[in-house]
Amino acid sequence: MSLTSLWRRIARGTHGITHETHANQDVRDEVEHYLDEAAAALVAKGMTPVAARRAARVQHGTPTVIREEVRASLWESTVTSFFSDVRYAIRMLRRSPISTVVVVLVISLGVGAVTTIFSAANAFLFKPLPGAADPSRLIGIDRIESRGNGGAQASHPYYLMLRDRNRTLSGVAAWSKTDLTITSGGTGRSVYGNLVSGNFFSVLGVRPAIGRFFLPEEDATPLTHPVIVVSHEFWRSALGGDSSAVGRTVGVNGTSFTLIGVAPQEFRGVFTPIVTSAWVPLMMQPRIRPNRSLDAAGASWLWTFGRLKDGMSRETARQDLIALTRARIAEGIEPEWMRNNDSIRLISLTGLPDDARKAMLAFTGMLLGVALLVLIIASVNVGAMLSARAVARRHELAIRVALGAARARLIRQLLTESLVLFALGAIGGMGLAIVSTRLLERIPLPMSVPLTLELSPDIRVLAFALLLSLVTGLVFGVAPALRASNPDIAGRLRNDARTGDGRRGIVSDALVVGQLALSLVLVVSAGLLLRALERGSNVDPRFDATGVATASLKSESWGYDEAKARTFSRALRERVEAMPGVTHVSYTSGLPLQWDNSNTYVHLDDAPPASAGKSEGTRVRVNQVDVDYFGALRMPLVAGREFVQSDDATAQRVAVVNETLARKHWPGASALGHTFLSNDQRVTIVGVARDAKYATLTEETPEMVYFALAQDWQAEQVLMVRTTHGADALAPALQGAVSALDPSLPRPTVVSLQRATQFVLLPQRVAAFVAGALGVLGLVLATVGLYGIIAYSVSRRSREIGVRMALGARPGDVQRMVVVGGMRLAGLGVVIGLLLAAGASRLLVAFLYGVSPLDVPTFAATSALFVAVAFVASYLPARRAAMADPLIALRAE
Amino acid sequence: MEQPSTDVIQGTLDMLILKSLSLEPMHGFGVARRIEQISRGVFKVNPGSLMVAFQRMERAGLLDAEWRQTENSRRAKYYRLTSAGKKQLGVETAEWARRTAAVARLLRAEG
Repeated sequence: MSLTSLWRRIARGTHGITHETHANQDVRDEVEHYLDEAAAALVAKGMTPVAARRAARVQHGTPTVIREEVRASLWESTVTSFFSDVRYAIRMLRRSPISTVVVVLVISLGVGAVTTIFSAANAFLFKPLPGAADPSRLIGIDRIESRGNGGAQASHPYYLMLRDRNRTLSGVAAWSKTDLTITSGGTGRSVYGNLVSGNFFSVLGVRPAIGRFFLPEEDATPLTHPVIVVSHEFWRSALGGDSSAVGRTVGVNGTSFTLIGVAPQEFRGVFTPIVTSAWVPLMMQPRIRPNRSLDAAGASWLWTFGRLKDGMSRETARQDLIALTRARIAEGIEPEWMRNNDSIRLISLTGLPDDARKAMLAFTGMLLGVALLVLIIASVNVGAMLSARAVARRHELAIRVALGAARARLIRQLLTESLVLFALGAIGGMGLAIVSTRLLERIPLPMSVPLTLELSPDIRVLAFALLLSLVTGLVFGVAPALRASNPDIAGRLRNDARTGDGRRGIVSDALVVGQLALSLVLVVSAGLLLRALERGSNVDPRFDATGVATASLKSESWGYDEAKARTFSRALRERVEAMPGVTHVSYTSGLPLQWDNSNTYVHLDDAPPASAGKSEGTRVRVNQVDVDYFGALRMPLVAGREFVQSDDATAQRVAVVNETLARKHWPGASALGHTFLSNDQRVTIVGVARDAKYATLTEETPEMVYFALAQDWQAEQVLMVRTTHGADALAPALQGAVSALDPSLPRPTVVSLQRATQFVLLPQRVAAFVAGALGVLGLVLATVGLYGIIAYSVSRRSREIGVRMALGARPGDVQRMVVVGGMRLAGLGVVIGLLLAAGASRLLVAFLYGVSPLDVPTFAATSALFVAVAFVASYLPARRAAMADPLIALRAE
Repeated sequence: MEQPSTDVIQGTLDMLILKSLSLEPMHGFGVARRIEQISRGVFKVNPGSLMVAFQRMERAGLLDAEWRQTENSRRAKYYRLTSAGKKQLGVETAEWARRTAAVARLLRAEG
């Protein structure tokens, strides 16, 4: 077909749709005229006009039939009949507004649940980096082991090599997270920032909102260009949104920097969950993070990413980078441990590093599975309701079939109805997702870093919700449509609701059983997660977290050197100890239960043969703590002494070990007085502390060594204060003490230790919350479904019940009969659900904190709950059936 | 889609319509009557198929249509060949002749 004639067809067809009545009138007139002419011809042969008219119709067909034939042959008729189907569907749905609202609501809940979870997953895993140009060509570069699961961050020399020698990327940038204290007159602000390579912004393709970004020469020579770029949010909140702020001098970690630019509002850095407020060139690292090194081949602390050249495939780029990495390893400059990392993995740059992505993927995958269960329950529910409706409309449909409607046409009509319902449900579900993601964003998380979650649905989520509804609408609409359009017209016209169509009963029973079983799986999962949470919160960490206030002190980000930091913490300790109610003050390099496990190797002196012979020594967990740490945590020593002020940098090195270490290496004897080598220094054990939980609640107690903080100085420390006056009430006093010592310091965030240690149960908390909400939803949906099906079967059997009662059955008998029927379904659903749950709960083991996936109380309680709910759902219709007047029931037919 | 020429019945109907209209513009019943008369009643045209064919051919640009007064002063839709329609009639006639000749040869060979 030529293009013009195609165009003509489309144009005429479209004209036919938009001017439908006019086009119809045209056909109508033409048909009318044709039949008139035919009649006239017969009159000319001598027939009477009336007879001729009838004869013409008999011979050629009625005008309606001819018109339909003409109309149906045109392509636009498919479109117009779709519109008329939709109009008809809306009319039908409006005729039973309550059930329509219920159905739409049920679909909205199901779609909303899935869409919410998908929206969160989308935000973390799939959304391209906000603010970057052409983000699909941006790739994160991870250096990994080709044999093994390990990986290494990049050292600066390795990064420079990749940047300068690759042939597949148009640019490679590097960055690292860093603590910054930014001072712009008065007190400083403690924020998270990035140390970045000079080309960071240009590789990302981000343009400054104000001012400019880094020039290549600003990241070429160490310490020559103290310049800083801040985020839009920081500029607004800390610098008053004043555009003259650009060019101003601000203090950054104790050094003067020039503010050269402001990033655009939508750009949130390359690690989006953490609020990133400023970017500083890598070459300023000695001022910003003096404890790190840029030159050493083994100092690997940079993340790298790049932009693929046009037309370059990921695999080509990967091979290119692997070749460069292996060449680098062959040079033999890198330390031993890094040489195993001889391969490259390229990932989409979405704002989460790969390991975090994996954990997130597993976690959201689990939640998505739970949400999908809810959607299936909701859809089954809707399928059952549609079936019931279709049965109620048998007469209407049978008449339409009798009048000549094709079965395909009826099926299309019924499917259109369910699609309209599901489309409305998709809109509702989308609305629900918008509200619930907003709620999720606001859930306060016990995290020590400033987080920002952007979970709101985007176009991808919208498409997902629509597609999901469309598919479920088709899947769950087809069966009712097929059944309702069954061409056994005569049977159905003759028939009424009396003949209990057995097959239909079995199908709807199966639907109810399925719903109950699936929602039982949900509730059991939620129950298990709640039990895990409860068990987790009741695990005795073997220290006392109540009544302790903590404040993180990052002296490195204040520009303090070690001497200055030592003076500061001594002075702060004196001030805090003098505060009323304070009983213990200490410092530590890291609080317990933060999932953070620092390990080191020590060589134990005169150790028994078990650990001898191992050249690397004994692997131990390590923590640096100050005087009075064990007192502050109420973690008593079982032998020896705590650290004291005299255990300082000049004194002999001492350590406290835990019971596990002592027992393992000196069973039945005292560990006190024994020594070990750590970094070639001899350390004497002066105390043995009680075992406790260190990184997580489920860990097997590791061998633990506490070093005296004064002898193993750490730039980043946490102040711990035990008080009798309540940990939270201490915040203003602690902040006041810090600024009294140095008014330029940022005000520290004070968090009670109790709150800080809740972090360890975060995944359980989120999982139990989401699964609990979805479980309740599933239970409600299944109950509604059970109630509906029993009420419906009671109304169908009203005649039978009437006969029974007329024959002498008492109301109690009828009631029992209906309840037993309902309970039989419920029982079957519970049994199937228990079996499914036993299988599904195995997938949750990682989140269960030692609660058995077949935890008897959870399974028993859930079963009891379901039986009780099922009893109520069948008792209500049963009572109504028993109260019915048998005469009315019989007459109704 | 233009010419489902394997479909003999449809193909024939289109050709017969084109042929009828090549003499003068006509309305629907006129075309039906002419086909019936000239074929001496061998072909009876069903009005539905006829109008479907009109719609299709009009959209394909082979026919033009306009509402006009008939001799007995009634409104009727008259169809007229376009130049594309005339060309198409030539093509179809030639094609038809080629096929019937081929079929005739086959039948002769068979006999």
